Amino acid sequence: MAERDPKPVRYRARRTPVTWVRGGGLAALIFLLPMLFVFGAFSWYPIVRTAIMALQHTNLVQPATWVGLDNFRTVLHDPLLPTAVKNTAVFAGLALVFGYPIPLVAAVLMSEVRRLRGVFSALAYLPVVIPPVVAVLLWKTFYNGDATGVFNTILGWIHLGPYPWLQSQGTALPSLVLESTWANAGGTVIIYLAALTGVNSELYEAASVDGASIWRKVWHITLPQLRGVLLLTMILQIIGTAQVFLEPYLFTSGGPANATVTVLLMIYNYAFGNSLGGDYGSATALSLMLAAFLAIFSLAYLRATRSWSTR
Amino acid sequence: MKSTRMAKTASAVILAGVLAACVSAVSSAATGSTKVVTISVASLIPGSTPAAKAQFDSQVKEFEKVNPSIKVTPVEYQWLGSTFAAKLAAGTLPTVFEVPFTDARTLGDNGQLADLTANVKKLPYFAKYNPAVIAEGTTSKGKIVALPKGAYAQALHYNRKLFAAAGLDPNKPPTTWAQLRSYAKQITDKTGKAGYAEMAKGDNTGGWILTTLVYSLGGRMESGTGAKAKATLDNPQTLAGLNLLKQMRWTDNSMGANFDYGWSDINQAFAAGNVGMYINGSDVYTNLVSASNIDPSIYGIAPIPLAKNAKNAGVLGGGTLVAVRPDANAASRAAAVKWIDFFYERPLVDKAQAVRNAQTLVAGKQPVGVPALPVFNKAQYDLANSWIKPYINVPQSQMKPFNTGIFKQKLIPEPAVSTQSVYHALDPVVQAVLTDKNANITQLLQDANSSAQAAISQGK
Amino acid sequence: MIRRSRRSVSTGHALISPADWRRPGVRWGLGGAQVLLLVGLVVIGLGPLLWLAKSAITPTLDTLSHPMALFPHGAAWNNLREAWTNVHVGRYFWNTVALAIGSWLSQIVIATTAGFALSVLRPKYAAVINALLLTTLFVPAVVLLVPLYIEIVHPPFIHHSFIDSYWAIWLPAGASAFNVVVVKRFFDNLPREIFEAARIDGAGPFRLFVAVVLPMSRPILGVVSVFAVLASWKDFLWPLLVLTNPDRQPLSVRLPNIQSQTELGVFLAALLIASLVPIIGFLVFQRSFLRGTGLGGALKG
Repeated sequence: MAERDPKPVRYRARRTPVTWVRGGGLAALIFLLPMLFVFGAFSWYPIVRTAIMALQHTNLVQPATWVGLDNFRTVLHDPLLPTAVKNTAVFAGLALVFGYPIPLVAAVLMSEVRRLRGVFSALAYLPVVIPPVVAVLLWKTFYNGDATGVFNTILGWIHLGPYPWLQSQGTALPSLVLESTWANAGGTVIIYLAALTGVNSELYEAASVDGASIWRKVWHITLPQLRGVLLLTMILQIIGTAQVFLEPYLFTSGGPANATVTVLLMIYNYAFGNSLGGDYGSATALSLMLAAFLAIFSLAYLRATRSWSTR
Repeated sequence: MKSTRMAKTASAVILAGVLAACVSAVSSAATGSTKVVTISVASLIPGSTPAAKAQFDSQVKEFEKVNPSIKVTPVEYQWLGSTFAAKLAAGTLPTVFEVPFTDARTLGDNGQLADLTANVKKLPYFAKYNPAVIAEGTTSKGKIVALPKGAYAQALHYNRKLFAAAGLDPNKPPTTWAQLRSYAKQITDKTGKAGYAEMAKGDNTGGWILTTLVYSLGGRMESGTGAKAKATLDNPQTLAGLNLLKQMRWTDNSMGANFDYGWSDINQAFAAGNVGMYINGSDVYTNLVSASNIDPSIYGIAPIPLAKNAKNAGVLGGGTLVAVRPDANAASRAAAVKWIDFFYERPLVDKAQAVRNAQTLVAGKQPVGVPALPVFNKAQYDLANSWIKPYINVPQSQMKPFNTGIFKQKLIPEPAVSTQSVYHALDPVVQAVLTDKNANITQLLQDANSSAQAAISQGK
Repeated sequence: MIRRSRRSVSTGHALISPADWRRPGVRWGLGGAQVLLLVGLVVIGLGPLLWLAKSAITPTLDTLSHPMALFPHGAAWNNLREAWTNVHVGRYFWNTVALAIGSWLSQIVIATTAGFALSVLRPKYAAVINALLLTTLFVPAVVLLVPLYIEIVHPPFIHHSFIDSYWAIWLPAGASAFNVVVVKRFFDNLPREIFEAARIDGAGPFRLFVAVVLPMSRPILGVVSVFAVLASWKDFLWPLLVLTNPDRQPLSVRLPNIQSQTELGVFLAALLIASLVPIIGFLVFQRSFLRGTGLGGALKG
């Protein structure tokens, strides 16, 4: 990451408090203060607090009590946990299937467009600028399960459906992924496009001179040159979708029959879902478990792909 | 002659002025000082019509005129099982807010509601409350933490226009579940609309409506009381009820295409004419007008059909209580109880206030005469209804089936222990039956029962 | 990492050489694929928005019974007026803007000051802070949710809840390790000679920051700004938790709350109004949006 360490700007050698101030020590501290305050209060302290709360029983009403690993036990014994983990994994997996190859193909095609390139990018990116809540609420209308729903009307033209979309345990989760892909794929396209412009054109020219076909060029030059970005967007997307909340919360509240309950929705429900008071201990315990899993997964992923990405 | 009349008039005017002065002097003396107390109060649910909001605001103005030392800020409010805890924890509830019968006692025991005992006992009509109703707002230590807003019995609401369109008599709503099922099918077959729809959102409403159905078949969700209560979600009547739903959904296909209705959604869908019949509290007409602007002519209400041969069959009854934030100081508490007295209680017991309230509602085009249940006693309820008779603007003839039938039904309170958790455990069962043709009902009920039992033992 | 070379590379049609283009198979096949792609993008990217625009001015009943028909019973402009006056979309829109501006400002201030201190001034303890920053980069946001919420409700030392205060959104938004790291790396790559020259000219650290470093860091500030504004528009769960007063809520929190009580036509009009401004903003600043996103993606590597 820090491949080179440029020399800091030093104003004077420092020895005493006075020279420390004169030497820019005070200035550095002043420049760091906003960051130290905000990160201390809203990042580092809450992280420590999570670890503490996961070992406590607290609902903000009665004083907190230490309960050891009880919260972890409660969570692990919750019959909903396997469902939530499975749904989250399916969501992340489907999101990869939908949202990973399509933007790549689109980006490769777009990078070779000779005219109207801006129009292509703008169209691809448009869904990304729609506020996500608006997108979900709009798609909720599209997914209306009646024969007169938007999607069912369109599919009715080719004599398909009507499909229940969100109203069936089988189709609810894929419907969520579909909307989420629509809303997010544009960003991925643009990232790939930017990376594609970085591919050294000399490589292509050399290959063309050797008489390589387009497919061979894509396979042997484009993809290997993009692999850093490809690997990174994949892990970032997995980490993102493992924390999916907006879609299940707004589309289905986890239904029907828990078919779209995700880990994050479970955390939310522990903390805020019971009208008699929250179970913050279980909520933090589950979020720690999710974080630990993601950390281990990312490390394993980086390990496994390191040889390939730096070859 | 003339002069004496003038003198009389003048003296009357003066007298009135003096009286008014006295009254205001008394009232400001009563509050001790001219210091203004500001309280925030729950008003209407989000998305209510401007007319409903204007009506509420005029109630507030009226109150502030009588109580010049209290300033009232209306805050839109809707109790939802899924969001209440966060608001409670965050301390963002208004000073005066509403909770369902099911929750007040536990919240009071946890110290999350203000103790109103001293203020409430001074109310002139306090002794007249139905003891069962006041008990809902009394903690295990005997402190009163909430007063009743109203009580309801679950009822069957139906669309008279769809009934007629399907060739059914709008004046003869179904009286058995078998009839209800065949009517629903007929409505769907003839009109293409959902014959019968049901709330099934994962915010406890699905369990609430299923419990209503199970009560009407004679089943119960719990036995025993306190931490020793036993969950009995997997009773034979629940099984029968779910099988009925399964047939209506999959054999008759008479339940429409939406199986994730919450409380507000289904009201909206009904008011829009897309639902033939559905179950909700008997007092929901108020909301159908204030939030969804329903066409009154389509509205019909009937009692829930009760199984004839089941000894325990009854109608689920519940209600709403009004409570005060626990951190309200003595002055705000007193002001809050004054508002509760003015807005919620007086219209039920005090003729002048009842009439004034009805006039405001009528002026704001809001319904007067919505079917509810007595929070004092039947006689008082009838008396209060007779005061407002001239102002009733709801289609009373269309409410006749309910108003004549309800007092013959046995009223059964909601499950007493961990109510919301019991409902929450039932939500996925209802959803499964409505969205999966091959749902294993027995297995689902067993799972629901064990999670409800766990919640009961943990006191959640 | 920013690869300098990237800027010098022409963004030409390198994969497919002019010779390739001359081959009819390539021309027709690829051209056809591109046309298909354009059609697909129009349908997928623009279609839903066009439908929204149409339905926002269509009577609810028509939308419900014939969602794809074009104005079978005329237009209902009233929907838009009602969304504006009764649903008060305008108010929630401005709340959203206020939240975005505050979050943006907080992120920019924190990222630049901290980046400057850590890269240019570099006190001895900078390594420690850097390590702490990188750690937070690996902690998923969900871990912070509950403790942060409780901290906002019952802040330590201050007996005043920050629920319903915009500071509860603005300040935590500033704690973005990604921003600080990205800006610091950009500063690392600035030529030191300029700083030396400024120092010899007698510029103190504050002048160095304001007069030299900030003007040179426009590109990276653009990237951070795009991400800050987009993230703020997208945020839902956090404002849902900490902004409970409807008058203070942004569109993202308000719209779901009123959906079930609002007539579909009016609701869709509200959705349209809520998306119009970001769309217009995007069309106007299209270049910086796309460059920011692309550059940001590259920077993450």
